This record gives sequence, C-alpha cells and structure tokens, in this order.
Amino acid sequence: MKKILVTLALAVLGLASAQTVVKLQGFGGNDTAIMSSLVREIVNPALEKEGIRAEYQGIEGDYRAALLNALSAGTAADLFYVDIFWSEPLFASGRVEPLNKYFTPQELAVFNRNLLNAFTLRGNVYGLPKDFNTLAVQFNKDLFDEAKVPYPNQTDTWDTFKDKLKRVQAAIKDVAGLCVVADHARFGAFAHATGWRPFNAQGRTVLDANFRRAFEWYTSLVKDGAGKYAQDLGEGWTGGCFGAEKAAVAIEGAWIGGFLRDKAPNMRYGTTLIPLDPVTKQRGNFIFTVSWSMNAASRNKEAAAKVLRALTSPEAQNWILSRGLALPSRSALANSPIFQRPGKENELNRVVFQGSTSVGGAVLPFKFGALDGGNWMRPINEALQAVITGKKTVDQAIADAQAELNRIVR
Amino acid sequence: MATQAVRPMRKPDERHLARQRWARAGWVYGTMLALAVFFIGPFYVAFLGSLKDNPLEWPFRYSFPQTQPKNWAAAWRLGQLGAGNPWTGGFAPGAEVPFQISYFVEEGQEPEPPTVTVPTRRAGAGLGAIFDEVQAAPYAQVSEVQEVSRRPAVVGGQPGQIVTYAFTIRYPRGDATASLPTVPRLPLDIEAPRGQRYYAATLDPNRLERRGRVASWDSITPGFFGYVFRNYVRVFNEARDPNTGASFFLRWTANSFFVSLAVVLTTLLFASLGGYALARMYLPGKNYLFAFIVFTMTVPGQATFISNYLVLRDLGLLGSLWGMIVWSAVGAGAVFIMKQFFESIPREIEEAALIDGATPVTTFFRIILPMATPALGALTILTFQGMWNEFFKAAVVLSGQQASYTLPLGLSFFRSAYGVAGDWGLMLASAFLSMIPIIILFVVFQRYFVEGVSTSALKG
Repeated sequence: MKKILVTLALAVLGLASAQTVVKLQGFGGNDTAIMSSLVREIVNPALEKEGIRAEYQGIEGDYRAALLNALSAGTAADLFYVDIFWSEPLFASGRVEPLNKYFTPQELAVFNRNLLNAFTLRGNVYGLPKDFNTLAVQFNKDLFDEAKVPYPNQTDTWDTFKDKLKRVQAAIKDVAGLCVVADHARFGAFAHATGWRPFNAQGRTVLDANFRRAFEWYTSLVKDGAGKYAQDLGEGWTGGCFGAEKAAVAIEGAWIGGFLRDKAPNMRYGTTLIPLDPVTKQRGNFIFTVSWSMNAASRNKEAAAKVLRALTSPEAQNWILSRGLALPSRSALANSPIFQRPGKENELNRVVFQGSTSVGGAVLPFKFGALDGGNWMRPINEALQAVITGKKTVDQAIADAQAELNRIVR
Repeated sequence: MATQAVRPMRKPDERHLARQRWARAGWVYGTMLALAVFFIGPFYVAFLGSLKDNPLEWPFRYSFPQTQPKNWAAAWRLGQLGAGNPWTGGFAPGAEVPFQISYFVEEGQEPEPPTVTVPTRRAGAGLGAIFDEVQAAPYAQVSEVQEVSRRPAVVGGQPGQIVTYAFTIRYPRGDATASLPTVPRLPLDIEAPRGQRYYAATLDPNRLERRGRVASWDSITPGFFGYVFRNYVRVFNEARDPNTGASFFLRWTANSFFVSLAVVLTTLLFASLGGYALARMYLPGKNYLFAFIVFTMTVPGQATFISNYLVLRDLGLLGSLWGMIVWSAVGAGAVFIMKQFFESIPREIEEAALIDGATPVTTFFRIILPMATPALGALTILTFQGMWNEFFKAAVVLSGQQASYTLPLGLSFFRSAYGVAGDWGLMLASAFLSMIPIIILFVVFQRYFVEGVSTSALKG
C-alpha cells in the first residue's frame, strides 16, 4: 500500500514538473485566432524542450474591465496585453512585474525605441511591445486620376494636401476629399507637428497658438470644400468612407488593409506619410501599441519570461508580418524583405512602419499620462465637432475646451 | 313638418352607430396590424440585411440581387456546372463554366472587350483571415472574351448600345495521375474600360468597384445557398476553431443545448421537490424558510456574482460548462412557482392516496407530479429560454474558452471578430440561426406556456 502511494505521489509530481503551463490573456475575436496559431506554430515548438507550454485565452467584450477584475480576483494570466491607452495607471498600481530583471539591456535594445519608451515608467520596463501602428494617408488612385490631380506624396504640406483634396472634391460629384472625423486620435497627429504637446513641462494641458493653428487647419477642411464630416456621409471613420469610395483619402493605420481586402478588394490605393506642417516643416504622428506584460502575482515568472521571449522573437514577428497581421516591434525587421515586396498592402505596411521612425517626425504614444485617455480627449473632440458642424467659433470652442481641460488635468 | 323634423334625427343615428362599429373594428385591426408591423418589421428588415452583401447599405433596398429568382436559378445552375453541387457550389476538376456580361456603351464610343481575371482572394478580417483557403486562381483557365451581340438601347435617357460578351472558365483535369483539389469558390473580377457601364450578367455581381468599372464576384459558382444565404454558409464554414478546424457555431449550439437542457432538468427536479416540501410537508420554520427563499429573489445576480465566481474558481469549474450548470441549477423563482401550484391541488387527493397506502414519495411521483404538467411545462419553457439567452453568467464563467462558449457569448465573439471590420452580415445571420431553436420551442410548448400562466385550478 505504501509503495503504491509513493509511486502515485511520484507520478503526480512527475506530471506536475513535466510541463509548466503559462497562461496568456489578450483581446478576443481575431486576436484569439491569430495568437492561438502563433502559440501553436512558433512558441510551443520552441519551448517544448524546456517543458513549457503556453495557452492563449482571448477575452470578449471590455478587455480592460475583464483584466482589472481578473487581477483583483487573482485569476489573471501570467502574461497579458496592456493597451498603451490605459497603461500608465495600471503600471503604477504595482500589479505588473517590471521586466528589467528578466531581460538584459541588450535584449531590450532590439525593440523600437519609441515603442519601448511608451511602456517604460520611472526607468522600469513594464511591457514588451507586441506590435504597433501609426497613421498614414491612403489615397484612391482612380479618383485622383479621374479628377486629374497628382497623388498626395511625402513632400506635401498641409496647404498642398488640402489643395489637392479640394480639387478632387470639386471635380467629382459625390466624392469628398477626406471624410473628417472629430477625433483627437486623427487630429492629434497634426497638432504634434506644430510642436504642441499634450502636456507641458508643468504637466498641464495648454491649448496654445500652435494647437490653434492645427485646429484651424483641420476644422477648415469641411468649410473650404476639401472634405465632408464623416457623420454626414453615414460613416464613423475615415476608412469607412474610403472603402465605399465616398472619400478620396483616408487617414488610418495598417488596420485598414484587412478591411479594404474584404470591402473593396480591387481598389487601387496608395499610401504616403502624413503631410508636413508648412511652418515647422515637420510631421506628427501617434503610436498605437499593445504590450505583453507580466503578472506580478504570477507563480511561473521564469517560465513566463521565456514565453515572452519566444512571443517577441524574430521568428514570431516574421510569422505575423508575413501574414500581414501586424507590424513587428523589432527595429531590425524594418529591413525585412517583406516590406520591400510590391503591392498596395506591402506599401501600406511599409509607410505605417516608417511613421514610427525619424521620418515620422514628432511621434507620440497614444496615451495621456496617468489620466484616462478617453476622458482627456473628450473636450478636444467636442471642440472639433462643434467647429466642424458650425455650432461654435474656433475661439469659443478652444476656450471651452481649455476650461474643461483645466478641470480635468490638475 | 314636425314628423319631417323627427325622421332625419333617426337616420343619422343609425349611420352613426354603423360608423362607430366600423371605426371600432378599424381601430382594433389597425392597432393589431401596427403592433404586428412593429414587432415583425425589424425582424424582416434584419433578415433581408442578413442576405445582403452589404447589410449597412443606405438607403435600404428591399429588392437586391439575392432576392431575385433570376439569380436563384443562375446560382443553382452555375453551382451544378462548377462542382456538380447546386446547393453550395464550388469549382472541381473538369468544370466548364460559361459566363456572359453586358455593358452599356454610349453612342459614339467604340465598345472594347473587358478584362477577365480569377483573382486570389484572402479574407482580410475575421476568422477567415488566418486560414489558408485553397485558391481557384492557379487552376482556372479563362477563355478568350468574345463579343456575342450588340443591340441599340436607351439607358437613363442616353442613347447607345448594349454589348454582350461571353467567355468560359475551365478547370482542366490534367493527366490522370495528378490529384487536383476541389476549390470551395471561384472568385471573378471583370474590368471594363472607362465609359462602359455594367448592365447585366449571368449572375449579378456581389459588388461594383472602382466607380463601377470592376464587377466583382465572391464566387461565380456559388450554388443556391452559397449565393442567397452566403452569410449563413459563412457562419458554418468560416468560423472554425483555429486549432482543430471544427465549426465553432455547431459547437456553441451543442453547448447551449447541453447547458439549457441540464439546467431545465435540475430546475424541474429541485423546484418540484422543494416546492412540494414547502407546500405540503411538515417542517418547523417552513414559512421563515419560504420567506427567505422569496427574499433571495430580490437580490440581483450582479450583487452575488463575485462570490459565486470565487466559489466556482475554487471548485475548478471556471471555463467549464458545468460551472454554468452548477450556478444556475435552481432558482428561487422556480421553487416559488411550483409551491404556489402545489398549494392549489386539493389536499383530499393526497389524503385519498394516503388511505390507499401510498408513501409520500409515491404520492409525489405517481399522483402529484403528473398533475403538475402545466406548471412543469411553463417552468421548462421559461428556464430553457432563460438559459438559452443567458449572457451574463456565460461571460463570467466561460470567458476566453472559445470552444466552450454558448451561443450568446459566441455572438459577442463574432461581434468583436467581424463587427469591428464592418462585416455585419455574418453576425445577423448567426443571430437568426441562434433564434431558431427558441422559436421551435415556443411553437411546440406554447399550449403549456399559456396554460402555465393562466392555470390556477385543476383540470380534468
């Protein structure tokens, strides 16, 4: 009897030590499909020898709420996504493990500097960038040809860009130049180009003369016949208008590629960088990114670090890039031959990738300090909407937004 | 004079009464019709939307390619020609698919034949994006495009001519040793020179692109279902588990049935036993117990779900369908309904059984329970419907385990996988499919449903 018990105990121990399961948590939907395949084809084969197995779990619905709940209940996975938009309050909470212990500075240096900085708080790296996106200008070649207007290109300034849009909109009935959205996630890229920053040295948000210049230009697009308000065209984003050929250009990231593949597979479109501010001769942009971060309460931190290494390995990022699913966060992959292939989607990916480099100009992560991003952006979005729809003057709208921001940013 | 003055008084009175009768009937029927339109209308519009290539199109059209019998017949025939499968189509070795397309060419312009290509199509978003679909492009051979006819016509007030072109797409068998795959679909793009307007084709295209220059088909050998119910077919074909390749939707349907039926069984068992004990058995403090049960009905599920979640976590039931079953096994409301029902059964019946020597268990199972069919039927339908539509508990217990999702959670999965890309057709289709079992249940059990609600005394 004793013998059997000992054998049993050993067998259980053996089973337990044979395989360490590292749980991963992230967005549901498409991400589940992509990450499960990545884990199956790249990550698990690489870690099989070490007895580590990763399992991905996608969360439907409100990911942020689900993650915070899981962290409080102690059921969060060992590694999870953190969206840059709400990363800082979470990193500051102490529930995320700093990664400096597990990765050497050399290992961290291979990642795009801008991206890594976005996940660094008080000198600690709290996440490795999974992938990223920036904004770029997509243009419909047919519409520009039909209007006999040259395509937008990377030497365009706001003025020449607006002029081209005006000419397309004037030449073709039913087509807008750009469908303009009242959203800081698009407008902000232009504001950054002027030298304006969301927070000044004192940590306040000041809507200064630079901001005003970008604001005036952006809201004048509709008034001056270079664009139409997206809601007036029955769309919620610039890509929706673009896919339906209601607008000649869109300002979106690489995510528009998959959308267009379904919605308008034959569209002849090109991609170029965001136009330059005519005064500063600079461009601006946002970086949208998600990190892989480690649970501070994880029981398998060493194993999780190994899985993290495999998830962000060159092989894994190449696998994702070659399927056109996302852009790699490793700087070395900028020279990947995949970017140099011909084709509209490769051009899109290439230009969006360039947006994060020095060509991209003033590139800021899509986060707003320790504040809730949605809350911070609201006054600016409302100001944009009020001016575009003619409800307020620029002066009035900026003054109101400033008053509101003074209340929010303390 | 006086009689003359009285008579006209009577006549309008009768007419007034008749008018009032008609008005009353008009109001009743009008209200019923309005209610019917109010409730059925959205379903009808959503159903039409689920058939469309672009469910979000505005203005909304009630007549579109998928509703036209001409296309039904064409889709059936082309599916037959493509793979010998008139229902879901395909493109098999040996297939020979003739196709025609007509353009309107304005007067003074010389018609030019269009360019025909079989493109490589990969899904851009949703689950389809991660599967490598077998493409028709490497196997399809397009014959030369030939002009078939020209006839003068006036389209939109402009004089000109309608020119028809024909071509054939073949799938050569090659030599006998090569094993060639049957391709699920045969996409097609036909690009016309600028100025030629698409007029008609053997099968109406799924979309016109590039300002009408390119007519584009997802498949020209779709079969009847593949064309008319394309989004419904996609629900089954496209949404598959990336690890096993099994259809998610079938799995979710099975899961929903399993959970709903299991909970119906546990509810019927526990609620009838509990209800009977509270109604008839001698139990000290029974009324307090009953008051407590009724009190628990007033506590919202959201208030207790965290503790339930933690209990399920410690039991290791998170992510498993059993977790949902344990959580929903019986509700206070069900016990309440059964208790009220049992109290309406005359005591004399049980006393008669007692005199005949029946034990309480025999009395319950052989006498009382068969009499409780209406209440049990009502409970069945309410519980089943409640579990079938249960989203909150499923979201809490099953989060992240796609293979063990129930249908409502699956629909939310579709929303995050397809809705973000504006692909609402598949979502509408899956929502309609998930409704079917509940509709069948209502049709079958509606007698019990009505009886259960209205019953207060014994029958027969």
